[in-house]
Amino acid sequence: MAFFDKASPALKEILLKLYRAEKPLEIDHQIYEFGSLQYHIQASASEPHHVYLSVSTSLQSPGVSTTDGLQNCTLQSLRRLYSDAIELIEPPNEGYQLTLRIKFSELTQSKGLVLLIRLRFCPTSYVCIVLTCYDFCLCLICSDECVKIITDISSLQAMMVSSQLKEMLWNFGSQDTSYGMHKPIKLIYHPGEPFYVIRLAQKITVIFPMRFKENSDVIIATTLFQELMDLGCLRKFAKAPPCTWSPIPPPELRGEPLEDLSTNGGFVSFDIFSRHIDGRGSKLDKTVWNLLNFYTYVKQHVKCTRGFIQRRMRKKVENLSEILQKAMLTGGEHIQKTHKGHRFRKKLISRSTSKMLRGKCAIFFNKIRSRIKIQGFEKFRRKWLRVPKFYSLRRYTKLD
Amino acid sequence: MAASNTLTTMTSRLYLTCIRNTLEAAMCLQNFPCQEVERHNKPEVELKTSPELLLNPVLICRNEAEKCLIETSINSLRISIKVKQANELENILTKRFLRFLSMRAEAFQVLRRKPVQGYDISFLVTNYHCEDMHKNKLIDFIVQFMEDIDKEIYELKLSVNTRGKLVATEFLKQFL
Repeated sequence: MAFFDKASPALKEILLKLYRAEKPLEIDHQIYEFGSLQYHIQASASEPHHVYLSVSTSLQSPGVSTTDGLQNCTLQSLRRLYSDAIELIEPPNEGYQLTLRIKFSELTQSKGLVLLIRLRFCPTSYVCIVLTCYDFCLCLICSDECVKIITDISSLQAMMVSSQLKEMLWNFGSQDTSYGMHKPIKLIYHPGEPFYVIRLAQKITVIFPMRFKENSDVIIATTLFQELMDLGCLRKFAKAPPCTWSPIPPPELRGEPLEDLSTNGGFVSFDIFSRHIDGRGSKLDKTVWNLLNFYTYVKQHVKCTRGFIQRRMRKKVENLSEILQKAMLTGGEHIQKTHKGHRFRKKLISRSTSKMLRGKCAIFFNKIRSRIKIQGFEKFRRKWLRVPKFYSLRRYTKLD
Repeated sequence: MAASNTLTTMTSRLYLTCIRNTLEAAMCLQNFPCQEVERHNKPEVELKTSPELLLNPVLICRNEAEKCLIETSINSLRISIKVKQANELENILTKRFLRFLSMRAEAFQVLRRKPVQGYDISFLVTNYHCEDMHKNKLIDFIVQFMEDIDKEIYELKLSVNTRGKLVATEFLKQFL
């Protein structure tokens, strides 16, 4: 998982563009998201009310029943949610796990109302205005609904990803014993970010092995994990799933491959009880989505904290530089503000006496040369009027 | 708690005052050409070729983790500082901050790009710096730098912890 928003912004934009187009558009787009997700959108002028959307994800979750690479629960959820507006195409396009036909004709009622308003618009008639206002309101409501449906369709990937975990949690809630006791199930929704779901007698434990590229990231993330543990003990968050962090693999993961258990950020576990997944409603959705987004949440926190530290450091360097400038005998007159790079960058213009003398001589001779032109003077000047080079005593080579 | 804070502030002030006094005494630099290479003028504290041009180094320690080494020569002065790093977070923050400063050493004429071994940051003051700058203000800068580094690291640590707490709260709130 790599984003908080369920709907894919690119897919939503394209679908809205197709929906709002005055005349049918010819579109054949392929979108790649986060390296593990691929969309293919096709729309042709010959079928103006239909858009074909194919989706492929790298869902690798062994031990869960699949139909052509897609979980049964995902298909069921799809059929349940979008039965009117979309149609599943069997078999899906080659290279994709799912192909949908989106029926824009089911969504275009609001468009019809817009036309209706245009026809009925008559400023002289009071009744017409009232009717128009009513239609306009109706149109807005319909339009909002259509946008909502399109947003839902754009969140297809989120649904595909979450349906599997949702099903597992739901089975726990309904006391179904289809999943083995104490057998960790490894779920990979993003390459390099696997997590484990372990079913115990009273709870389901979700364990996230945390891996980071840099040591500083580990330390920033560890502060977050400590806070998660501490806050979980408070009465205010008694209803939230208890969180534990340990630098060593928890005993539940005994027997798993060593490469999966080697982490630099430790292991974060959330204990999910039946109260956290009560019913198939929003509570279950929320729990599943929060668990799926945990990696993203931590990474976002680390990234923002690093940015914050960088900003503070830059500000401090500016302050310290200003203090040093005040120590200059010239009072920091040579400070120049540049727009590129550092905002505050000093540039000292210091020239040695020899350089200044040489410069003045050059100007003087240039003036003479421009006014008088004597045959052989250049040769004479080079021989007799050459300014000797002076080396400053200040020069030295700095050694490490 | 308040008493311990007062004590810390007092020991810090004593430590900084000691450094200030030592710097005031040591910062009497003069132009001195290199004795080894003709027409060269190099900071003797870096080269250490002529022992007669070097003074005894002064090590001021507040504790094992916090110390300041002041090395003096006839034409230059080197100040090396070791900053307190109580835990991993402070260690990372200090390293990042001092690296950030070292990479921008051109903004501070007196800052050395590479610290002396065993220290976190080093300054090199030559007689030319003393000619270009007010001596007292230069000492003020070094003392304030030391003070600010400690303060900044402490504040950064607090901010990182506060941010962690806020983010954790927001995450857990989503389950409620």
